[in-house]
Amino acid sequence: MKPRSPTEHAFFMVTVGLLAWAIPGAGHFLIGERRRAIIIFLTIALTFATGLYVGSIGVIDPVNARPWYIAQIMTSPLVGVLANVTRSGQYAVYGRAADVGQIYTSIAGMLNLLCILSAVYMAYQGRGEVIGTEEDEHA
Amino acid sequence: MPESSLLAGFIAPLEVHTNPQSLLWMFPLLLSIAIIYKATKLRVLFWKRFIREVVVLFITISLFMIAVGVGLNVLVWYLTG
Repeated sequence: MKPRSPTEHAFFMVTVGLLAWAIPGAGHFLIGERRRAIIIFLTIALTFATGLYVGSIGVIDPVNARPWYIAQIMTSPLVGVLANVTRSGQYAVYGRAADVGQIYTSIAGMLNLLCILSAVYMAYQGRGEVIGTEEDEHA
Repeated sequence: MPESSLLAGFIAPLEVHTNPQSLLWMFPLLLSIAIIYKATKLRVLFWKRFIREVVVLFITISLFMIAVGVGLNVLVWYLTG
């Protein structure tokens, strides 16, 4: 297996970043960090789901709570799909439950941002790549 | 139906009262933060070491948050008492 060219390496890092955003943990999975990927996926999905369960899906509010929404959408672009559902404002959200739900879902997004950066940095360092050219030389 | 009541939980908020017990919602979040931080921070991930470091970080952050809470409470009591 040939080492990647700088262009391929840059493309690989972008792919890792986008995949890490699309599905929490998927970026780490792509670079071969399977344990990290499972831990990240379970933790972020559970944190986000807990927030939605406590506060209702109405806590995703791109109209009246835009700063929170920016943090929430870091969890996954699928949050944007949920935002289209909740945009009408028909889902009840109030009281302390709304605060808890909003904080949980936003922190899940911020944590996933950390994981995206971590996955891209690991890809930049060359994890998930074959190091050296010994295989080619002996082939 | 248990399934439908589970799904209904996502379209109606739970009842969370505005009392000191509601602060307990902080701890699962602190655990999530500790897990993700250590999952990204450790160079090589060994389960035993990972779990030990997560527990230590979780306890550290929890104690710090409790100390901040107590400190702010004492400050308010001192200023208004």
